[in-house]
Amino acid sequence: MNPHIYRVVIRSQISTGRLLALAGLSGVAILLAFVARAADDPVEVATQSMGTFGTNIFAPFIALALGSAALGNLVEDRTLVYVWLRPVPRYSVATAAFAAVLTVVGPIVVAVMTVAAAITGVDDLLVATAVATALAVFAYSGLFLALGLRFKRSLLIGLGYIAIWELLMSRLGDWFARLSVRSYPMSILSDATDVSIRLADRSTLASYIVPLAIGFAGLIYTSWRLTRTEID
Amino acid sequence: MSTQAGPPPMVQATGVSKWFGDLVAVSDVSFAIGAGVTALLGPNGAGKSTLLRMMCGLAKPSNGSLTVLGKDPRADVAVLGRIGMAPQQESLLDYLSGREFVELAAQLHHVDHPVEAARQAIQTVELNPDDPRKLSTYSKGMRQRIKLAQAIVHDPLVIALDEPLTGLDPRQRREMIQLFHRLGSEGKCVIVSSHVLDEVERFGSRVLVIAQGRLAAEGDFREIRNLMDDRPLRISIRTNQPRALAIALLDRGAISGCRLEADNLVVVDTSDAVAFRRAVAPAARDQDASLLELRPLDDDLESVFRYLVMR
Repeated sequence: MNPHIYRVVIRSQISTGRLLALAGLSGVAILLAFVARAADDPVEVATQSMGTFGTNIFAPFIALALGSAALGNLVEDRTLVYVWLRPVPRYSVATAAFAAVLTVVGPIVVAVMTVAAAITGVDDLLVATAVATALAVFAYSGLFLALGLRFKRSLLIGLGYIAIWELLMSRLGDWFARLSVRSYPMSILSDATDVSIRLADRSTLASYIVPLAIGFAGLIYTSWRLTRTEID
Repeated sequence: MSTQAGPPPMVQATGVSKWFGDLVAVSDVSFAIGAGVTALLGPNGAGKSTLLRMMCGLAKPSNGSLTVLGKDPRADVAVLGRIGMAPQQESLLDYLSGREFVELAAQLHHVDHPVEAARQAIQTVELNPDDPRKLSTYSKGMRQRIKLAQAIVHDPLVIALDEPLTGLDPRQRREMIQLFHRLGSEGKCVIVSSHVLDEVERFGSRVLVIAQGRLAAEGDFREIRNLMDDRPLRISIRTNQPRALAIALLDRGAISGCRLEADNLVVVDTSDAVAFRRAVAPAARDQDASLLELRPLDDDLESVFRYLVMR
């Protein structure tokens, strides 16, 4: 990983709009936690809401906003040349960008969701939420990092992917669910509390391995793409 | 293809073509460039930027081969350490200051003392290395110069500059041209693209003329200038004696053809601009004709390049 590129990508990611989105979604997570705590069956409601909001909305949307912009913004404003035209291995550029996204997205999303889980008062959910959210962030960040480099309107395409595939198509059947990222981290929450969540039927092993594999696949594709793409 | 005697070329293109779908941007171009300043002259859209991008490995030739210091810049990342490039686009990493931007280039090029190297490069292009402002606040001229600074901060052997004088004032242009010459005299291969003929004339260097994606001419600037001056010209003459003046010019052999366009207008063709200029005033005097206007009809740069391509 190249530390100089890492620092530059981190600086490029900090914008008022993104910070506001992070703050807004964090507020919603905390609010949902208080609602779950006050519910008649806090375990059921907390598991459902942490799974639905944390891994279906919070992690993917923040990972999309920052992941797709990490290299995507450099492509769109034609400044990738200032990174690409250096004697730096391409995997090192991709790794630095991926690490930068994880550095910004990971701690915030995982910390907020863990605090939210703590607020619900469901002890079994605490570690499971932290792990499930971290895995979701890892998978989505790798996926959207690659998307940002591959497509010009990556934010729009990413929104379409989350809305159509992750939130809609995955409900059509088990095979569709297997191809959606969210079903894996949600299974970790379901395992932890024994609360049944729709689509969360993955095995324990798959729940951990598949998100990691998706994140790494995105990273590998990004590295490969950087060696092949023509820089404007 | 031309080859230079002596040391091997630093940049060598052999039958290079580049197309984007149906659009041919560069067509079968071959050249060899050594140390010194070389101008890449051509109208906008001629393929200059595409050639420079291929030289720096940013784009891959669709056909042919292009090597820098004997290596393929797309396949060999290490050779990028010997290349410096200032691209044409104005966009920069706007959230950085000028010093941070140039330091980043130095760091990514593994320069031993990046802070010092960045200061020196920024001073070389006449900017202030202690200026804390972000690049987003820079004027067009400052952006051009900071791009140049990041291109030279690692002391590269091959320097590709895409329209680097755009946005600079006359004094800055002079300074930059001097800098290019200094770098060239230090044994570096400096390739500067421009669509401005007068600008290239001031480089006083070797020229590659690119037009319609093809290498239209190459050589010393004076040779290219002579070629351009020798091309057929069409000139409109407004006078009170168009017929008599045209006959007089034909008699003197100063024009090869003419066409009366109106009562006071004649359009003439000449293949010798110098002879025409010498003959027109005496001919008018002899015919007692008043010369109201002389206007070249195809003296724009596009037509000059078109001629070079078609000849």
